[in-house]
Amino acid sequence: MPRLSDTMEEGRIGRWLKREGDSFREGDVIAEIETDKATMEFQAYDDGTVLRIIVDDGETAALGAPIAIVGEAGEEVADAPAEKEPAAAAEPEPATSGSDPNVAAAPPAPAPQGNGKAEVLRVSPIARRMADTAGLDLRSLAGKGSGPDGRIVKADVERALQGATPVPGTDVAPAPEPRPPAVSAPGEGDEVRELSPMLKAVARRMTESKTTVPHFYVSSEIDMTRALQLRKELNEALADSGEKVSVNDLIVRASAQALVQHPQAHRSYVDGTHVYHAHAHVGIAVALDDGLIVPVLRDADTKSLRQIAVEARDLAERARAGKLRQREIEGGTFTVSNMGMLGVSAFAAIINPPESTILAVSATIQRPVVRDGAVAVGDIMSVTLSCDHRACSGADGARLLQTVKRHLEAPTLLLA
Amino acid sequence: MADVTYREALRRALDEELDRDRDVFLMGEEIGKFEGSYKVTAGLWQKYGAERVRETPISEEGFVGAGIGAAMMGLRPVVEIMTINFILVAMDQVVNHAAKIRYMFGGTVGVPLVIRTPGGAGAQLTAQHSQSLEAWFAGCPGLKVVAPSNPADAYGMLKTAIRDDDPVLFCENLVLYNVTGTVPENGDFTVPIGVAAVAKEGDDLTIVAHSYTVQRALRVADRLGQDGISVEVIDLRSLRPLDVDTVVESVRKTNRVLVAEEGWSTFGVGAELAARIQKACFDDLDAPVERVGAAEVPMPYSKPLELAALPLESKIEAAARSLLRECGL
Repeated sequence: MPRLSDTMEEGRIGRWLKREGDSFREGDVIAEIETDKATMEFQAYDDGTVLRIIVDDGETAALGAPIAIVGEAGEEVADAPAEKEPAAAAEPEPATSGSDPNVAAAPPAPAPQGNGKAEVLRVSPIARRMADTAGLDLRSLAGKGSGPDGRIVKADVERALQGATPVPGTDVAPAPEPRPPAVSAPGEGDEVRELSPMLKAVARRMTESKTTVPHFYVSSEIDMTRALQLRKELNEALADSGEKVSVNDLIVRASAQALVQHPQAHRSYVDGTHVYHAHAHVGIAVALDDGLIVPVLRDADTKSLRQIAVEARDLAERARAGKLRQREIEGGTFTVSNMGMLGVSAFAAIINPPESTILAVSATIQRPVVRDGAVAVGDIMSVTLSCDHRACSGADGARLLQTVKRHLEAPTLLLA
Repeated sequence: MADVTYREALRRALDEELDRDRDVFLMGEEIGKFEGSYKVTAGLWQKYGAERVRETPISEEGFVGAGIGAAMMGLRPVVEIMTINFILVAMDQVVNHAAKIRYMFGGTVGVPLVIRTPGGAGAQLTAQHSQSLEAWFAGCPGLKVVAPSNPADAYGMLKTAIRDDDPVLFCENLVLYNVTGTVPENGDFTVPIGVAAVAKEGDDLTIVAHSYTVQRALRVADRLGQDGISVEVIDLRSLRPLDVDTVVESVRKTNRVLVAEEGWSTFGVGAELAARIQKACFDDLDAPVERVGAAEVPMPYSKPLELAALPLESKIEAAARSLLRECGL
């Protein structure tokens, strides 16, 4: 399983595009792999033929675990396991875990034990000795090692001897957690499902953010009457081109303009330093059927409303189709999370580290407002900015929000 | 047992040995009236006079040679080289004479010489004055090389070195001079050469170090301890003879080991230990032996570059965490 995102610990085969017996050329897409972030195309690094698929469509494998055996057409892989189960006989050179993912390559190494089975199991010496002493068959841990390239290490053997399942690739090997009773015990008719890699990543990152980033919140109400009018005029003018500007595009534009005006609200707290961002790379949260993804619209501060509209639409469409590239979901400096279309009146969002701010946008609702001393009908949008207090102070956050509000309420500024 | 500095511990050991044995005398640049560049010989010239606390010209080859001659004739000279960087001009005396004489004279004549000299870096002394060259000497049969990390060991090992009948290179460290610790008042207290110490006990990872790097390792151990990782710190104290047994015993317990040193890793103390450990502990290892040393460059003058080149706690900690990650911890 190649590393196709910086943070992935395992991946799921979306589908194989080359089946057993199919040949491929260097650069061909062999499979689609779901990482914790997106569905990525896995390209061949060399010419070859798929001899055996070990991890099938929809199945998950730990980083570095073999997912297929490739080689020359017609080459024998008789020693390969009939199942993808442990044994890992004929375990091919596992993909390196670094930046050089590679297709598992045949031929298998010669069998050291001379028992007819080609077997290269990476095991640390102490893990091997402990397993020998305890009579544990290390092949039962094949592909589940938590060391580099799936090496089976002492901690894996200890867990196996305790009867727990090894946790591959985790940074910190957690002690086998006893399930809290009652709460998680599924009731009658309940269904327990594994999380997709993406939902696992969301769960992990959001927990990390909410428990380690000191959040505070600043809220405001923005009169969108003129912004909606501007949007209407723009869309009428652009009608022939098929382009369309959304409310969200106006918010992205206003936010990007505000961010570069307020450097103290546009910096990240990283290891005791402040990283000041030169350009506003605005993440746009896109809800999926089950989960969400945040494509990043880069250099939004240098782009016109029209450019933003075109790019945001493209990103959102490809996000829903699972076709984003890794670099399109990285490097954000700010995020807009818009639930206006769902009619919410107010909410607050969790920061997406290392970004230091995220704007939660609620529905625009017609409400009585006082203008020039008279009551009138206004289109009011409620927004809440979540801020990392290590990066910016309350006043910094408030000033950023004030500028966003000013630009949306005097929207000709969005065209400036 | 009040806390004293490493510097004061050395001074006290010299004072007591000068007092105990008439054959002991000191030689070096500016060690008399000026009390030494790092004030280790403070007050000794006044107390023992110019004959036993002898000022020398700036000629390391000459006065190390004189020390060897005096030692061959039965005296016990303690020669100070201002920093280990300046020993290079006396390399022939140290390696070809002090280390060889007992062997080449068929065991009839020894060289009970101590060369005291500090290494280390961190004060922008730049490329020529920031080196830790002890590993070069630790590879030479005929020499003993020690590098204590705290005042008590400095005190006890200097006494042992002066009483030893063979040449001892006694490596100090510029940053250590102001480090404090308790030192036994008992004038008979000595620390043997060739015996490492377990500076801190632990179960998950062994960090092996010597000299000032032991202090860094102990702070890294504290930090990892806050995350529930139990680190054992082995203070080598002597590089030659090397107490491999203590290291092996520790690695057999923790299964994971990192060697940290202030000098360059290549052909360094970590290189030697990695070889010894893989031989003695091959089946005990959960991951390859890890090394942390100075960047493989002449020490830069620029402060940020100097910090980047030094094996700081942050680097030792990062290497330790990476090693532990490889082990699923």
